[in-house]
Amino acid sequence: MTRAQRAGRYLVLTGFFLLLAGPLLWQLSLSVKGPGDDLYAQPPQIIPSDPTLDNYTGVLDRVPVLSYVWNSGLVALIVVGGNVAGATLAGYALARLRFRFRGLVTGLFVVALLVPIEAIIIAQFLLVRSTGLADTLLGVALPTAVGALNVLLMRNAFQSIPNELEEAARIDGAGVWQRFRHICAPQVRGVMTVVAVFSFVGAWNDFLWPLIVLSGEENYTLTLGLNRLRGTFVSDPRLIAAGTIIALVPILAVFALLQRYFFRGLQAGGIKG
Amino acid sequence: MFRQPARFVLPVVAALALGACGVGGSGSDDTTATVSGEIKGEITFQTWNLKGGYEEYFTGLVTAFQTANPGTTVTWIDQPPEGYQDKLSADAAAGSLPDVVDIGPEAAFTLAGAGMLLDLSKTDPDAAKDYLPKAWDANHFPSLGGTYAYPWYLNTGPSFFNTALLDKCGVDKAALPTTFDALFTAGQTMASKCKSGETMVGRLPAIETFGAYGVPLMNAEGTTFTFNDAKGVELVTRYKQLFEAGGLTEATLNELQTGEVDAFKAGQVGWLPGSSYTLKDLKSTAPKIAETVAISPQITNDKPNMYIESLAVNAKSKNTATAVAFAKFATNRENQLGFSSKAAIFPSAAGALEDAYFTTDDGTPEAKLRVESAKAVSEAIVYWPAAFSSKSVDFMREQIALAVLGKKDVQAALDESVKYAQDNLPK
Repeated sequence: MTRAQRAGRYLVLTGFFLLLAGPLLWQLSLSVKGPGDDLYAQPPQIIPSDPTLDNYTGVLDRVPVLSYVWNSGLVALIVVGGNVAGATLAGYALARLRFRFRGLVTGLFVVALLVPIEAIIIAQFLLVRSTGLADTLLGVALPTAVGALNVLLMRNAFQSIPNELEEAARIDGAGVWQRFRHICAPQVRGVMTVVAVFSFVGAWNDFLWPLIVLSGEENYTLTLGLNRLRGTFVSDPRLIAAGTIIALVPILAVFALLQRYFFRGLQAGGIKG
Repeated sequence: MFRQPARFVLPVVAALALGACGVGGSGSDDTTATVSGEIKGEITFQTWNLKGGYEEYFTGLVTAFQTANPGTTVTWIDQPPEGYQDKLSADAAAGSLPDVVDIGPEAAFTLAGAGMLLDLSKTDPDAAKDYLPKAWDANHFPSLGGTYAYPWYLNTGPSFFNTALLDKCGVDKAALPTTFDALFTAGQTMASKCKSGETMVGRLPAIETFGAYGVPLMNAEGTTFTFNDAKGVELVTRYKQLFEAGGLTEATLNELQTGEVDAFKAGQVGWLPGSSYTLKDLKSTAPKIAETVAISPQITNDKPNMYIESLAVNAKSKNTATAVAFAKFATNRENQLGFSSKAAIFPSAAGALEDAYFTTDDGTPEAKLRVESAKAVSEAIVYWPAAFSSKSVDFMREQIALAVLGKKDVQAALDESVKYAQDNLPK
């Protein structure tokens, strides 16, 4: 590789880094800017001239962030658990078990993907309300507890396992449950991680549905709670930035924990999906 | 209230129709029967994003009401800023709308059309005298034949000018524009002197700009939009001429109000139609601009524009008498004054603007701003017709942008906007 090529490559890499990490850096910088900083200075200032952590304490004073994190965590836990367990089971059934209308059921899942949430959200709310789950965290979590997309992802993952593997197990006398647990499920762990991360991020960031289901503040999830940081008449962008950073920490933590599996999962999907 | 309309709005009419089956739609009597019954029992009172700054005021308000009316319990809930209209629609559909709700005219129009709000012109016609006439009128919807909410707080504001930018671009800062003619002239001057993207105007005209320009927005019956007349075409044409002269940037064409404020704070725009809290905002987020800012009366060819929030009573409330009593209590002169001394807004109760707080200028820029804005409020009009939905707002902005770019005839763009708004009216 010539020097120019190498320089070009680094230029492109730096460009992409700025494009992807820039907004995040900006939020981080905004969240530690003090009252003496001109937020709209031209050219934009990344290093704060009046650095402070007051915005973070301001967020904690103004809204009960920990209670919001707890609520969001509960919802995320139900959604991640539901998706990992439910979508894996359903995916296995669709890919490997023979039953009548299997094609039709798979088609239904695809159709479900096409329906925009805005079109059915009121009907969904009426349903949740009639089961007495309005204003509860379970009501927030249930409708997304098994996502159609995740079921299809798992189905494809199971389909890519060679049939011979399962047949060998069957000859050795393994039943359906044993084949699922010991032979097939371990093969798709990567995709399960992808499902876990996607459903976690989805549950963590959802706004409209929790807004509609919840009315009492004690049940608010983090997205609803942090939305309160927007002032009634004027917003302090520093406070909002601090709130955003607080909300981001758990997502980064989950990603860091699962990252090893996550990339394996993405590769598996890329090659065989 | 310079609040942005929801990013997208649910198909409200369908939602409410669905709701009617859900709750077993009751007769239309709900909205019009005179309210009787004891002031007792539990009600829910919902505000829109007021807990963050004014929790103390509202807890005090609720306690005062409960003390004055023994046997009542008011549960106060507060909703986050985003998606408020969606929340109202969903609750209305599911029959879980709170008894007293904080609402803007546009949402009130939708809910009233579905029979969800108490018609005060039938149940409480005497209340009109307790409020500023223009504020009371803002919730009178001629096409539905009633008045559907008690006026609450108002806002309006003067023009803010970036004098440093005006100096640089050859506009006389001693004679700040107060009419549209002067504004467009100044805009042309800036365009000819400053070629690096600084402009006078930072946003395309919205429906309330048409009103302030003197364009008739709707017929008296509230059934037909009329802003595509010669005067409306004239206004858009002036924006188009400004754009052609370089007095509007392309980025401006799709800008919302928040974008206009940001551009002003960044020193790229000379004029900002502000409100009573703009000065405070500028001081805390863009101190350099705040130093050179000049304040002058709102630009209008007619009366100044204002925005309104109101309190509506759920027509299906189980304790209507209590709900009405609370809505009137929260919007009475004393309590409105109490709220406006905490928040930089203006009261709609009759006589409240004559209070010393709004008439005495103690020399601080904040007090000067307050007194001048209060003067404007007393004669201001809520131009934005309640029947003009937020979808129509977006559609009109896109059409005007096309016209300004020269991709569409001005008349055709306005005709289509009128047609779109018309099609969005409830049948």
